[in-house]
Amino acid sequence: MKSLLPIIRLLLTAEPKSMVRGAALSVIVLLMGAALLGLSGWFITATGIAGLAGIGIAFDVFRPSAGVRFLALGRTAARYGERLLTHDATLRALAALRVSLLRRQVGLDARALVRLRGEAELTRIISDVDALDGVILRLFLPGLAALVTHLIVFLMLGWLAGWAVASAVLVGYVPFAAFVFWRLARQSVVPSGQSESQAQALRRGIIDMIRDRQALILRARIAKREDDMLSLDGSSRKMMRALDLSDRNAAAALSILTAAVTGLALMVGAALVARGAINPATGAIGVFVALALAEALPPLARGVADYGKMTGAAERIGHAPKTMPETTAKSHAKLDAPVLTIDTPNLTLRLDVGEAAALTGPSGGGKTSLLMQVTGMAASDGILIFGTRPDELSESALREIVTMVPQRSALIAGSIRENLSLSGGTGDEEMWQALAAVALDGVLRARGGLETQLGEGGTGLSGGQARRLTLARALLRKPKLLLLDEPTEGLDDATATLVLSGIRKASPDAAILATLHRSVDHPVFDISKKLNISR
Amino acid sequence: MTRPQQQDTKSSRRLANERIIVPVAHQLRVAGALSVASGLIWPAQAGALAWAISGWVMGEMNRTNIAALFFVLGGLLSAHLKRAAGAYLFDAADQTIARERAALISREARARAGISSAEIAALAVQKLPLLQPWITRYHVAMMRVSILPVVLLAVTFWFSWAAGLVLLVTGPLIPVFMALVGMAAEEASRRQMVEVGTMNAMLMDRLSAMLDIRLLGAIDRASAEFEERAEALRVKTMAVLRVAFLSSTVLELFSAIGVAMIAVFVGFTLLGEITFGSWETPLGLGEGLFLLLIAPEFFQSFRDLAAAWHDRAAGLSVMAELEELDAVERVAFLGAARATAPLSGPISLELCGAAVAYSERILPLPNFKLNAGESVALVGPSGAGKSTTLEAIAGLVPLALGHITVCGETLDEDKADAWRARIALIPQKPHFSDQRLRHWLDPDADEADLWGALTLAEADRIVARLPDGLDTHLGETGGGVSGGEARRLMVARAVLSGRELILADEPTADLDPETAALVIASLKRLKDAGHSLIVATHDPAVFGAMDATVKVKP
Repeated sequence: MKSLLPIIRLLLTAEPKSMVRGAALSVIVLLMGAALLGLSGWFITATGIAGLAGIGIAFDVFRPSAGVRFLALGRTAARYGERLLTHDATLRALAALRVSLLRRQVGLDARALVRLRGEAELTRIISDVDALDGVILRLFLPGLAALVTHLIVFLMLGWLAGWAVASAVLVGYVPFAAFVFWRLARQSVVPSGQSESQAQALRRGIIDMIRDRQALILRARIAKREDDMLSLDGSSRKMMRALDLSDRNAAAALSILTAAVTGLALMVGAALVARGAINPATGAIGVFVALALAEALPPLARGVADYGKMTGAAERIGHAPKTMPETTAKSHAKLDAPVLTIDTPNLTLRLDVGEAAALTGPSGGGKTSLLMQVTGMAASDGILIFGTRPDELSESALREIVTMVPQRSALIAGSIRENLSLSGGTGDEEMWQALAAVALDGVLRARGGLETQLGEGGTGLSGGQARRLTLARALLRKPKLLLLDEPTEGLDDATATLVLSGIRKASPDAAILATLHRSVDHPVFDISKKLNISR
Repeated sequence: MTRPQQQDTKSSRRLANERIIVPVAHQLRVAGALSVASGLIWPAQAGALAWAISGWVMGEMNRTNIAALFFVLGGLLSAHLKRAAGAYLFDAADQTIARERAALISREARARAGISSAEIAALAVQKLPLLQPWITRYHVAMMRVSILPVVLLAVTFWFSWAAGLVLLVTGPLIPVFMALVGMAAEEASRRQMVEVGTMNAMLMDRLSAMLDIRLLGAIDRASAEFEERAEALRVKTMAVLRVAFLSSTVLELFSAIGVAMIAVFVGFTLLGEITFGSWETPLGLGEGLFLLLIAPEFFQSFRDLAAAWHDRAAGLSVMAELEELDAVERVAFLGAARATAPLSGPISLELCGAAVAYSERILPLPNFKLNAGESVALVGPSGAGKSTTLEAIAGLVPLALGHITVCGETLDEDKADAWRARIALIPQKPHFSDQRLRHWLDPDADEADLWGALTLAEADRIVARLPDGLDTHLGETGGGVSGGEARRLMVARAVLSGRELILADEPTADLDPETAALVIASLKRLKDAGHSLIVATHDPAVFGAMDATVKVKP
């Protein structure tokens, strides 16, 4: 329950006006439904009595029959309004929640970001958020509306038909329905939560299986993986079965409860009528209202059955990932200072406008970590960009200055143009210039130009072509400091030379720092440094 | 809508029906019968109530207890019948979803379509369950609507032709209106389904590229784009809901008007202000109350059907996606990828005039021969087809022309599994599953084997340095270790597989010269131990170490 509270607050406060109106309307719907049936029952019984007594002419038929029509139409309109308002408000809040969950990834530090697993985050943003739509629509609002309606009905019925009938309806419904719901919640909390988490595991598993397919085939393990997926599906469906059983039991219990309360209202009404405390028409009201109130229960049952799923999802969403501390003192870049100075035990380096440096050192020696420090995604002692520590610059100011192409840079599905557009809005001509700088223009012109479509994760290009596309994408940022992590990886020597000099030529004013293990003596670089290992 | 399209939808609906409904028709029939039986109890219950209350007016109070008992027993029976019907319905839906999901999973495992993995996962996990309401509600609602309203109408006519007429006129308007709404509903839910897929695919893609997005300063652009998708999904979901709400409102309106008309009619008749509408015996209080009680049930079956109509629309749009996926062109690998006895005899391989159909063009593969213990380097410019050659040798892509001979036999459907049992492939792009490193390397190997292979691949120190060692979960593309380290882990994995022919795609692509030399040395060690090697590479140091060089021309 504790984990649901922030979600309830979030959903209620996103569109508070719509929610309040929706909640009011949902009470009105139930009340009008009860009033409609109660009034109709009273009306017919009363007219029956009047007819028998032969005083039909004196009976005021118009007000009750107008009331019946008003309640019938009003209830319909109220229900439509209630549904529209509450659903729209909830969906809006959930859409916003999805975006904020995605944005939460922004604050991750470099280490967490490179280890981020897309499929895990995906299930959080899609399935967990989906699971929460019932928190208000199927749990909070129906519960609130049912309770409020019962209280109002109790008062009205007590006033109209006597407190005995009113108490019979209230005491018959509320504690027993609460018991049925409590039992349902208890029985369903485990299967509901489990079936959801297993469904999510299945979703992640399918994505992983498809993405790892080649290796699985070669190791003759795909059939095994398939069986794993099917058994996961099997256990998830087993949970669904348990859930369905408690669901059906609760539904049956509720409909038996309705019959029992109606029977009780009939008997209490009869006793009052027999004592002459009320007339038969008033006595009928209790019976009809008891029947009408059955409507309040089934919507709540659905929500209660999903309780386990909702709390599980809320807990997963509530687990905020560890983010880097927000910098408090934002400094400004000093444009007269050198673009980059590094003064650490492992390396001293000064890079000015238009200079290019190559950094070498064995794998695992900390080259990538150093670049990540320069990008401000890890603590950056001893590093100054334009005289300022990177982690003291604001995110946007830092990204304006520095662009980095990481070692395993990713592409996205869509056209070449969409991939290049990740670096910001640029025209076609600039895109072609950047592609020419990395010697990719010829290949793409032969295929489909900027409209060439790439598959998931940029499939459709060879390793070297993909590498060059990520380099072109970085060039379009026009950075003052360009960091390249193994830019020639996967390129043959001739292409590597072409690409490196292309990059240099395309950004004459940029300072470039590249980690390399080959072509160290490449003429493109003014400075060559070796990173010392210290542990 | 033009005629051929209409026929299209009709025949696709028929197909959907055959695929989803026909196999569970028996369960649906039983459930429908139980549900109808439960519905037939209500008129009896209503009769009991009306009989008791009319007794109050006539001073016959002793009716009440009998009626109350009868009413409660009726409720008990009806609840149990409904509960039993639900069990059949759950089975029917469960069986269907299990079948479709299994088919989907095994097909994606066997023959990949070029569709986002996240989209497929969304279809299997998020959308397939939408078949459930269609299966469990539509057919039962159909069966109920064809029996219950007729019975209730007949009963109403029995007491009063005017009341019957009210129902007769307002009732059938509902299906007419429903059919109109149904078309809009189907279109709306189809759009919603598509949007769900789009959002899934896009989100997965962006999450995989999160580091780049951050480094490119594209966080705001990416989240704005995603916000657009999330908002589009909301709009499309609301469109579906709006149609559903509107149709149920209109139906409720018909029902409310019908019930109100009956109430007023009965009231006026009882007062004696209306004298027509009944047969010879005038309508009494009991009959009047009875008519009032059964009128809502008359409309309820129509309203249930209308609600189920939306479920059917959602189900059909899921079916449309399934059928679309059925029709997608797929590249199947050769064989079944089941564990089989390896091909016998010494390793040998020959490519002869082989070519692969690759994105609408024919990509010829080089001709070459390899015998046991030999090593070959495939060299050529980027995009010439080096990786494709390796894939074809591994039986991952079928040949369009020519043939590949392995161990003296043609590489085909029957031989592929046995052939693959003798080879290992080190791909260019590392991919780490979401599992512990030790399971990723080899789930069956013991500690000593693991460390032995890691040492051979110069990867032991990498693992030793990881905080969780062999129990580390790495990022999808090896996040957590450097590019060179990921490569060495993959070499270790190939070593652990114990296969004789090792295919390596750019094995030194991001290794520094020292480590590359060590990896090359370890490849040579494998060769000395009797392994054969085929390596696609740019690296002169690598092809210098191989016995032969094969040029791959674009």
